[in-house]
Amino acid sequence: MIAYLSNIATLAAIFGLLAATLNFMVGQAGIFSVAHAVFMGLGAYSGAQVALLLVPDPFLACLAAAVVAGGLSLCLALPALRVRGEYFVAASLGLQMMAVTLFTEAKGLTGGMGGLVGIPQPRIFGVVVPVLPLALVALVVFLLLMAAMQRGSFGRTLGAIRDAESAAEALGKNVAVAKALAVAFSAAGAGVAGALFALHLSFVNVESFTLEQSVLIMAMLIVGGTGTLLGPILGAVLLLSLPAALSFITFIPPTDIGSVQQIIYGGAMALLMIFRPAGLLGDQKRGRSEA
Amino acid sequence: MNSTRRLLLGSALAAPFARPSFAQSGDPYVIGTLFPMSGTNAEYGTVFTSGAQLAIQHIEADRMLRRPIRLQAEDTQALPQQAVVGMQKLVNVDHAAWTLVGFTAVSKAVAPIGDRAKTVMVNGGAVGPDLSGLSPYFWNVIPLAHLETRALLPFLTRERRVKRVALVYVDDPLGDAILSELRNELPRNGAELVGSFSIPRTAQQFGPVAARVRQARPDAVYIASFGAQQSQIIKGLRDNGVSTLLCSYSAMGLDSVRSLPEAEGLVFTAQKMDFSGGDELTKRFATDFQARFNRAPTIYNANYYNATRMFGLLAQGIEQAGGTVNGETMRAALLQRRRFDLVGGTGEFDDKGDMMAAIEVLEYRGGRAQRLAG
Repeated sequence: MIAYLSNIATLAAIFGLLAATLNFMVGQAGIFSVAHAVFMGLGAYSGAQVALLLVPDPFLACLAAAVVAGGLSLCLALPALRVRGEYFVAASLGLQMMAVTLFTEAKGLTGGMGGLVGIPQPRIFGVVVPVLPLALVALVVFLLLMAAMQRGSFGRTLGAIRDAESAAEALGKNVAVAKALAVAFSAAGAGVAGALFALHLSFVNVESFTLEQSVLIMAMLIVGGTGTLLGPILGAVLLLSLPAALSFITFIPPTDIGSVQQIIYGGAMALLMIFRPAGLLGDQKRGRSEA
Repeated sequence: MNSTRRLLLGSALAAPFARPSFAQSGDPYVIGTLFPMSGTNAEYGTVFTSGAQLAIQHIEADRMLRRPIRLQAEDTQALPQQAVVGMQKLVNVDHAAWTLVGFTAVSKAVAPIGDRAKTVMVNGGAVGPDLSGLSPYFWNVIPLAHLETRALLPFLTRERRVKRVALVYVDDPLGDAILSELRNELPRNGAELVGSFSIPRTAQQFGPVAARVRQARPDAVYIASFGAQQSQIIKGLRDNGVSTLLCSYSAMGLDSVRSLPEAEGLVFTAQKMDFSGGDELTKRFATDFQARFNRAPTIYNANYYNATRMFGLLAQGIEQAGGTVNGETMRAALLQRRRFDLVGGTGEFDDKGDMMAAIEVLEYRGGRAQRLAG
């Protein structure tokens, strides 16, 4: 049972990091992206290749993942961030679709649809270490960084851009650079989460980095509450643990288990959004409909 | 008073989740399934599960084992991440002695967990050649796809006089393996590959592909895909004027394909199974399956029946020898025994745990699969 709970906790920490870094884009900078799984994928493949070809050192894998995901996000963000709001959603959707095709076709780097198999377990000084403590450390480090940035001038600049982009620009803020840095930081965090995901599963393929995964990460953020530090973590824990808890219900016939679980899961999410429209920890005044 | 009420309410809510922590000697053996039970591939999950359910019914009716069997289903949605969560639960919470898997990505994702825990994983649905040798505890009770393709080509070239073959294949290890097989084996059978058209796994529109297939002027079109996409490809090709012979492998053995009017005349390979005129075991399977599920069995039903029956046979031998039923003893028993009486005939396993079985060629006529060869 401990191993099972540890597995759920590991995934919750990894997805908590994904949701928290997405929150930095959405909640802090007002950049709505549905391509977060792309950066997770870039990190996962980078980390997996480091572990497969060089050494299964988790720090090296995470560093490579952060550099690749953060660096590539800069190249992509600079032209894409010229569009605002819902137009960026469409641009990120295009990026998501293009990335899935690239992940599938770049078989030399990603293994294509077959993926990368036999990724070794992480080792520090030759000793196998579980991914859970690594994921928790990564989560805490990124949360502390985000909290520090939120309080600093960079955080205030992002807040100004989120609330009134034209006004921020008129006040002399370099909107393009601030947004690109926010995207790069967020993507680097997603890359680290991806590397830890690859080391934890020992297998990655493109099916883990599709639009559905990006939507799931966004759902974690919305359920937990955007713009809050701990909301995305709570959302990740809830969305991962609820299906796991439902699998313990013993009276459902094996052939109906999927549909019953999906109905309960979907119903719970709908009720949550009705009664906590701004998410569990979000500002409820912002979530309510004005009509 | 309040705390008592809370305790009672909490206990009542927790009751469905309660489960003993440790397996006792009288506790049931747990057979876990990691199938898609929701989402676009849910049809497979239902088909796979029904085969396992019937096998458990027969094992218990025949009193093969001293302990009962419990089937524990985990919904994977055919995705690796969900599969890992499900496998961890089966191994660490349910203490499953035996697990049934399908789908290539799911199989690859759970193989390291089963390998570390020494839990047997049996695949009866995915046919990607890269599934061979994933782990000493990962076995296949289905012939892998490239072997099926190899078996089909002599029939196509000799019986149907096919000289030019076009391939529509999904861009994954399965499709790549079939492409390689056709490239190598068609010339040896006096035919040629006149076109190969890769499609993404998510593609749903096949008009442009059909146009290119028509341009290649093939005598036959081989379809290498799976899931809901199969029916869409068949319909897409037929709707866009491809009237030539369509052929494929055992993934076409689904009701959704069989009932499709456009699938009339489709030729495909499958494990050889004579449900009406076969041995006693096969006839019993077919009769009882029809009685319990009110429909004729398919190859997938039989494969997962066999995968579950394998557990019964191995565990029975271990129990009779006074041993403990676990992954290590079952692997040792498999390598020692090798040959098993299964639905469809005798199944023989190699060192990697891959089953070799006779292949037959079938054709859909009037909504039924009819044997052509094998």
